[in-house]
This record gives sequence, structure tokens and C-alpha cells, in this order.
Amino acid sequence: MPIPRAAHPAPSWFLLLALTLPALGCEWVANDLTFEREAIPIYREHERSQVPTVSPTRLKVMAWNVKYGACRVDFWFDFWGDRTQLSSTEVSDCLTGVAKLIEEYNPDILMTSEIEVNSRRSAYVDMVRFILEHTPLRFAAYGQTWDSRYVANEGLGRIDLGNAIFSRYPIVKAERIRQVDRTDQSVIIKTFYIHRAITRVELDLGSDRRVAAYAVHTEAYDFDGTKQKQIDQIYKLATEEAKVMPFVLGGDFNELPPVCDERADAGTPESCEGKLQLKDFPDERASSKGTSYEQPPYTPSVMKKFYDDFSPSITLARYGVGTAAQRPYFSHSVLGPDSVNDQGQPGYWNRTLDYLFIRKNEGWENTDVIQVPGRLGVTADALRLSDHAPTAGTWVLP
Amino acid sequence: MSALLLALLLSQAAEPVAEPVAGPVPESDLPRAARDTADVGPAGRWSAGFFNPTRLAIADSFELEFHPILFFVAPNLVGRFALSKEAVRVTIEAGLLVPTFGMRLTKGYLFPTWATSANDIGWMVIPRIGVLISGNVRKHDVWTLRADYAGRVLLGRNSATPLESFLAPLDLLMAAPTTGFLGGFGGAYDAAITQRLRLRAAVNFYVSGAANQNLYVDGNNLGPLAPRDPFIITTHVGLDVAVFKHSRITIGMLWGNYDQGATAIVLDKDGFAERVRGRSNNFLPTLDYIWAGGFGD
Repeated sequence: MPIPRAAHPAPSWFLLLALTLPALGCEWVANDLTFEREAIPIYREHERSQVPTVSPTRLKVMAWNVKYGACRVDFWFDFWGDRTQLSSTEVSDCLTGVAKLIEEYNPDILMTSEIEVNSRRSAYVDMVRFILEHTPLRFAAYGQTWDSRYVANEGLGRIDLGNAIFSRYPIVKAERIRQVDRTDQSVIIKTFYIHRAITRVELDLGSDRRVAAYAVHTEAYDFDGTKQKQIDQIYKLATEEAKVMPFVLGGDFNELPPVCDERADAGTPESCEGKLQLKDFPDERASSKGTSYEQPPYTPSVMKKFYDDFSPSITLARYGVGTAAQRPYFSHSVLGPDSVNDQGQPGYWNRTLDYLFIRKNEGWENTDVIQVPGRLGVTADALRLSDHAPTAGTWVLP
Repeated sequence: MSALLLALLLSQAAEPVAEPVAGPVPESDLPRAARDTADVGPAGRWSAGFFNPTRLAIADSFELEFHPILFFVAPNLVGRFALSKEAVRVTIEAGLLVPTFGMRLTKGYLFPTWATSANDIGWMVIPRIGVLISGNVRKHDVWTLRADYAGRVLLGRNSATPLESFLAPLDLLMAAPTTGFLGGFGGAYDAAITQRLRLRAAVNFYVSGAANQNLYVDGNNLGPLAPRDPFIITTHVGLDVAVFKHSRITIGMLWGNYDQGATAIVLDKDGFAERVRGRSNNFLPTLDYIWAGGFGD
């Protein structure tokens, strides 16, 4: 068999290699991430930022799904566009805006999800390094959840995505904890799909004080109860952690707040009727129905135990009942403000999926969802920086 | 390992390379000819593999080459013209490939579907020119040097971007259509070990347009794509085992080394991590069965 020549249409290689896809390279075609719990590397900024106060009494924290530096570019799985790839300029411009918002709020701890370090779709930009070098955050731990050398879906290519926790205080321990995989996918799809994991770090605040931080991002598209299992696992971990040290837990749960019980019959006190919109959001495109990216039914009741046993940054009382009251705290919209849905409405935050929790008897100050300029003193426009809004607040340490 | 065992078995069982004897020797009694050299013809000679290209000598100094499996989705044809058939043979190649339809068949997998826009893989032709020089070292050993260049001529708007897969041959195949050009040079040595075995080793160096690509959406340039190291190195070692009168089985291993976008994590002196880019390696088995005819015996 000859060495392939330039521009020859060489079926020899194409067909043979299609049959020998698990090529004997030095890197696996897809990483199953077969760990249960393992240490992960810690990154440090190159440019030295100001060292924070030793043994603080309060920590500003933020959780943000940064949508792989795509800002409001509509990718194919959202059904409002068909992009599959970003230019270096697009990613750099977007991350500059993301970093500006972070710098304005100036959190001590930032928990991010959908952050990429080496993905083809986001121009192979190391976003962990970018945020470290463009914000006052000094340390980071990246918990990889998707490591595929080539995803043959829409030419997606290489993917290296995960959660990352950034901190102004030294990260002294970092680990990732595997979550369950979906069971409603074929073996091939499952192999090349995301494998969710929780990122956990311990921070040294000085004077022998340590706190923990968790970044989570649960499944978005399953119809087999995977997300609910993942949320249960997060709850159990947090419950155990609460016995050990103070912690903050933040991220995109892909679940609505437990204002009601979706299982309750209409007309009963627990019913969601009139209290919480469960489906038919204005950014859901009809053409997504029946595809792999259809929005599964929400099950807000699985979040109830978090509100019972931990302290949320936005309480249910503050969240309120009904869309009008809840609207200031919505944190997600697939559709951006410069696009309109099939009814001609521009995109705006329309549901809450992102949360911050601390231990039950610890306090919050100045919490909010940074939806638009002016919230928590931030002038950057989060609506144009991601399909999720940052959730933030000041954690009063015990 | 099985290939090595088979080679060892056959080399022990086979006769040594036939020495010239008085009178004409049927070609079926000689070692199989070296492959992928500058040799062309004689007229009527043909060969075809499952994966290797079909070659048909129209005249003693001119033959056509094409890949029949892909022909109907990616029409392709290469003419090979022998400039010199002396001790050192020189052949030039010139061909055309129209890959668009074949590429479009992979939309949804290797390329985007572009379901909500008019973006698409543009119509294009890929002309290619090349030169091969071959000579003999022993009676039946052949060395070959080659150089070639393929460039893309776009016939309209094109939104396809470089494939950036994990398979060197696939990336080479798609290099000119998706990066604009692919140039290469290399050399091979094809040795007759016994009358029934040939061992072929080749090394090739390529450069593509991967370092300077832009992303075009709806005809607009949205900025540069992440630059990739455009240099690709491949080596191939293959064993040809003669079967029947003129046919052969080829088995081998390809190694490719190039930038697939891989990174590795290294730790600094304080134990903090740093992500660094590196080149990747491919090791791929190769296998084919090649029929040949037109020998007149």
C-alpha cells in the first residue's frame, strides 16, 4: 500500500482507516474518563495579581456557565443557527468581555462550567489560562469532563471541556469526582459524549483556615433520569462536606428552582400551575423536538433538598411565584438579545438553572443574578457574553 | 507481528531471487515489480487494488491512474508520462480531482450540515502535478524520489474548514481541498528480498496551508482559525507477498507525525500545571490485495 500522495483521492486510506478507527496512536480517540475521584492539576497565573487579605471574613463568589467562549454565536444544537466553529478572534473578543465582567465583580472564588482548554470549536484557546491572565484570579483547577480527540458530529473535532474553579486564594487541593453517564445513548455516541464530573477544591485562606468549593454542571438532554441521579450525587457530597468544612457549591444544574412539585396534580397546593413555567420556553425552537437536543421535562422537585438543607444565594421566598416575580432571577436563555424567536421576540433570560449554595447556617450578603448592566455594580452586559447569567454573592464565613 | 512471522516463513520457503539465465524469463518467474515508482508501461499493463489506485498503461510511456471506488463521488484522474526510461527513469504526473460531492456526502459527520444557512462546501477542482525519479540499485531493487504539489481552485463560495482529524492519511487527503494546497517530497526504497517478497520503505514530508486559515460564514471572513503547524511527516514500511501469477498482498504500517492539536500538561518547579502544544503520532496498519495483468504470459 503506497504512502498517500498529495490530493490523490485515496480510498485506500479513507476506507481502510474507517475500518480501523481505533488507530494505534499515542492518544485515545475518546477518553472514557474512568476515574471515580482523582486529583487534578492546579494552575497559577503568570502575571502576579494582588495578594488578597489573609483570613478574610467574607468571600465574594460567582458561578457562571461561560458557553465555551462563544458569547451569543448560535450553534447548531440550539437550533437558532448552524455554527460549529469559532474563529480565534471571536473567542478572544468574547473572553475579553467575560474577563471584564469577572474583573468588575472581582470574585474571590469563581466556579465556571462549559469552559474549554483545547477544543476545535473554540479555536483551541486555553480559557483557563486566559481568565487567569486577564482577571485578578490567581489560581485555578480544571476538571475535565469531555476529552474526545475527534467528535464526528457536524465536524466538531477535538473537544476538551470541563468545569473550572478559580480563586484569589491558593488552591491547596483539587480533584474531580465522576458522575454517572447517560444510559439512553448508543455505545458509540456514549463513547464520544461528555462524561460529567464535579470539580472540588480546597482553598487556604490563611491562619489555618480552609474552605472548599464545588463546580458542577449536570446533564442537559437526557430522558433517562441521569440528571436527577447526578443532582442526588451532588447533594450527598455536599451533605458530607458540610460535616467537614465550610463550602460553596455553584454551577449550572440544568434544573428549575423547587417552587412547586411538578408531580402534583393541577389544583393541588403543590401544583406548578401558575407558579413556575415548566415547558414551552420562548427560546425553544419547534424544530428541536424529537432530536437529541430536545429539552427534557424539568423536575424542580429534585432541587428541594438543597433548599431544605443548604443556604441558597437566592431564597425561594425572594424568588417568588410566577414568571413576573421570578424574572429578575432567571439565568438562562438559549436565544440572545440580537436574535428573535419564531414569534418575533428577542431573546431574554427566561428560566433559572444556575445556583449557589453554602452550609445551612451560614450567611449571604448582596446576592443577585447579574442579568444586565447595573446589577451588583457590574457594567458589562452578561446577556451578550453567554447563554447563562452569572450568579453571585458574598459569602459570610463562619 | 503476524506480518513479520508470515514474512519470515515465506522468505525461508521461497527461492532466492532468480538470476538471469539464457533466453527470455517469463515475468511471472521474476520478483514482482516495485510499486509506486517512475516506471510506466508497457502498453496494456494494468493493476488494481481494493484500496490502491487502478493503473492502466495506454502506451509504453503513458498510463492513467484513478481510484475507482471514489470515482463516482470524487471524480479523479491522473496521467503519468515517462520522460525517460533509461537507467534513471523520470516520470511526470498531472491530474485533477473534484472532491466537492464526496465531501458533501460526509456533511453531518466530518463537515457541518449548515441546516439553517446557505453555507456549504464549495465546488472546487484540485489540480496536481508531480515528478518521480527512479533507479535500480541491484537487479530488482528500486529507489524512488518524488515531489508533488496540489492546489485548490475554488469555483464559488466555500465554508469548509480544515478537517483536523486524528488520522494522518485522512488529513492529507483533505489538505488541499480544505487548506488550499499540499506540497510534498519524499523517497522510497523497494527491495526484492526473495522471489515472492518485496520490502518497501518510504518517508515523505508535506506542507499544507494549515498555518493560515480564516473562518468564512455567509461569505464573511470572521477572522483567523487557530494556526496549526503545517508540516507533516509520514513513513511507511510495507511487505508485498506475491500470490498467483502477478498479484500480490501488501501489508504494512504507516507512521504519521503532525500537529493534531494535542496538548500535554507539564508541571513547573513549584508543581503548578502548564498546558503545552505538541505533535501527535499515528501508527496505522495498511493492507491491500493488488491484481495485475497485461503481462502476456
